Amino acid sequence: MRLPGYLSIIVAFLTIHVVNANPGHTNNWAVLVCTSRFWFNYRHMANVLSMYRTVKRLGIPDSQIILMLSDDVACNSRNLFPGSVFNNADRALDLYGESVEVDYKGYEVTVENFIRLLTDRWSDEQPKSKRLLTDENSNIFIYMTGHGGADFLKFQDAEEISSHDIADAFAQMHEKKRYNEIFFMVDTCQANTMYSKFYSPNVLAVGSSKLDESSYSHHSDVEVGVAVIDRFTYYTLEFMEKIEKNSSLSLQDLFDSYTFEKVHSHVGVKTDLFERIPSQVLVTDFFGSVKHIFKDEHDQSEDFNAVIKDGHEQEDYVDHIVNLAIEKKRKSVARSSNATSVEQAPLINSRESLVSFDKSKTEFKWSVTVPRVIFFSLLIFIFYLQVQDKTQSQSTLRC
Amino acid sequence: MSQLGLRRVVALWFVAVYILVGIPLWYKLTTIYRAPLPSTYIRSIQENMHSDVHVVVPVYVRSETYKFPDIHDAIQAQVNALILSKATAVNWSLQVLQPEQGQVLDPESDHVLTLVLDDFTGYSVAYDSKETFVFFDNEAVVSNDVPFFAAQTLVEHTFATEWNHISRGEDENDGLREPNSEMAISYAPAVHLSISLLTGDGRPVAWDIDSTLEQYFTPLRRFLSPLVNFTVDTSIVQFNDLNLESLHQSQNPSWQDLAHTIDLSELSSMNYYLEKNALNLAIVFPSPEVGQLAFINATKERPWQSFMVPQWGALVVNKEALPDNSRLTKDYLAPVIYSFARELFQFLGLTSETADLTTPYTTIDSFKRLTTLKSLEQGVETLWSLVKLTEQFPQMSVPKQVLDDVVRALDLRLQIIELLNDPNQGGDVTWNKALWLSNAFVEVCEKAFFHKEMVQQNFFPQEHKVAVYLPLLGPLSVITFTGLINALREKKESTDPDKGQESEEKREKEAAESKVT
Repeated sequence: MRLPGYLSIIVAFLTIHVVNANPGHTNNWAVLVCTSRFWFNYRHMANVLSMYRTVKRLGIPDSQIILMLSDDVACNSRNLFPGSVFNNADRALDLYGESVEVDYKGYEVTVENFIRLLTDRWSDEQPKSKRLLTDENSNIFIYMTGHGGADFLKFQDAEEISSHDIADAFAQMHEKKRYNEIFFMVDTCQANTMYSKFYSPNVLAVGSSKLDESSYSHHSDVEVGVAVIDRFTYYTLEFMEKIEKNSSLSLQDLFDSYTFEKVHSHVGVKTDLFERIPSQVLVTDFFGSVKHIFKDEHDQSEDFNAVIKDGHEQEDYVDHIVNLAIEKKRKSVARSSNATSVEQAPLINSRESLVSFDKSKTEFKWSVTVPRVIFFSLLIFIFYLQVQDKTQSQSTLRC
Repeated sequence: MSQLGLRRVVALWFVAVYILVGIPLWYKLTTIYRAPLPSTYIRSIQENMHSDVHVVVPVYVRSETYKFPDIHDAIQAQVNALILSKATAVNWSLQVLQPEQGQVLDPESDHVLTLVLDDFTGYSVAYDSKETFVFFDNEAVVSNDVPFFAAQTLVEHTFATEWNHISRGEDENDGLREPNSEMAISYAPAVHLSISLLTGDGRPVAWDIDSTLEQYFTPLRRFLSPLVNFTVDTSIVQFNDLNLESLHQSQNPSWQDLAHTIDLSELSSMNYYLEKNALNLAIVFPSPEVGQLAFINATKERPWQSFMVPQWGALVVNKEALPDNSRLTKDYLAPVIYSFARELFQFLGLTSETADLTTPYTTIDSFKRLTTLKSLEQGVETLWSLVKLTEQFPQMSVPKQVLDDVVRALDLRLQIIELLNDPNQGGDVTWNKALWLSNAFVEVCEKAFFHKEMVQQNFFPQEHKVAVYLPLLGPLSVITFTGLINALREKKESTDPDKGQESEEKREKEAAESKVT
């Protein structure tokens, strides 16, 4: 009787330790996309804004969240609550209330921009805040919602992205080592077809409904007048509200929480490309940003002893990289000042010689020159007058 | 020419223009331009990475007491034997040189090995230059051990960092060993440093950061400038103590507790800087309402404790809150900068976690060469990815600019290799130039890979093309070809005179009937 008891304790202990933060990534990114426009698609905007709030709450900074919203329901004239978006009929939480940084809005939400975002192929003008600057240590959470069908998702009622396009974009990202792991979540009709074509490694995907199956909205708000959230996202958020930064719940727990009774469709999960098993992947590996923090163990008293203060004696010099740099700078200054005295001497002389041309130092001072000029010009003038007088007197004689 | 003949000729002309001009023009305008990349060459480089690289580091040997005429050859032989004892990822060797008559050696630029006669045998690597001293006694000279001592000192001590990275065991893959530190940011020639002073409340506070940085950090910035260029900004952030108040009673929090509590999101925005990488130094004071932070192991001299966040930067957390109207002076800030300087070397990947900086000159010198080699690897991998992608996606356009960049990158690669391989070049200037070129190489490779136009057509399915072309070309084709067919048919009718007469009579009859009715 005791053995199974011990075993269960050991197993429980092991599972506690196995589900640990994945050291394979050092930064987290989130790409949240709402692809549909118009007021009646209010719920898609609310879905995305709810996800935005969740990832932000769990520590992903705004600079690492790319938010694509194809419409602005908060400022829609039909919105009875201007400037607010709610995801629940109780309207307890305003999703638009706090600072929301929308990176792509309105007609910027296009298939081309989405593919460019993933593959990072932009012109030089593209600002950093609108780029997915991930690297091989990045875990990316991608959430998409909108209206879709078999192997496609509509963008703006104007174009559509196919499952092949996303799969190829992921392949390009993998080729350039732009991610460590991707968690792809899609809430749309026939959502599971969207991830069916993926072939790049380390991609985990979950969709709200299988082929030929619709995804449904959860409930409507009478005063808003339209449905405010989709079922799949609603139950995802219900799960996520339990998560804190130190949560040890895994993605398997999230997947287990979806039931047909709740979601009214068959949620699908694609794990074959993913190296880890979902029960060993913390939810915060994708939805949060947990950074390791270590105490700096090096002996800081050495740093205190090494500090060169003003008026420091030379004998107190302690080897330290900052002191070495200061010493090197001092040497190079000394060297360059020595060099100046030898190499730049003629230049300095020439500068001095230039100074010697200063008019104040020459003999031709203004105080001397001006009276001289006046004196000489007077002389010339008198001489000229005399010559003229002579000629005039001669002419009068002639007359 | 009859009217029918003219119509026939016109129809034929239309078809001829359609086929001879229209189709080639359509083909020309709709073909995706794919510049021919030198894929075979790139493949061969990628498959035999570093096969054409042979890094040669010159080392000058001088002897202060004895004159050994053949010591250079002897040390060279020993060095070669030591290097050959292990497999290497890159061809790497030391070139032992004798200073020429009258040549002045500069140990700050070139590696110099000085043989010193002493009472014991040993070695020492200088702190402030690239000079290595090998001490030997007379016994060592008699037993002819000096060359071996010298060689061992060089390979296993002076160049230890480099040698450890380059050599590899039999079971390891090709390529250079990656440092196993998660602390270091990926190498980039420009790094932004953001220094912030955070207080938990809004009381006024000031700091002498400008003069402190000028005195202590600017020399370091200059010292590291061949390797990394720093841009620095400073700021005071109030009402933000990174959520430390929730830890103030905790005595000994684990790293998980710290990681889950400390909120760095407000300081993690990279968007304001042009640089690819950024490091942070945050000096945090709790607010007086929170009181002392129990977990901070402060001393009387040092009122703070430093924490390191991998690839992010350092946190200097103070135990006590700041008094009102405080001004942080140089006396407080200088030790913080000194401590951060040592951490900075870990963040840059120059040293491992032990923060060992006993020989900064040789460490930095080795780092330059290793970074150059890694950049060569990285750039080639990027080019190879580009080639693979263009082969995988036949719809992807490959603009001429991409080809130009690839050619330029390959040219840069050859220039770098020429510098690395030349045994007569090996001063600071050479390695700086190689590093600079390798940064340019990586940049050009990335530019080629991320070319803007390589997205177009990629998400454009074939059915869409049909949907676009059909309404445009359909009516044109129908009119042109049915016109020609009609003309040809009429030709047949007109060649049969009886049929023609009959039909004329028929038409006349019909006309008469219509008049009667």
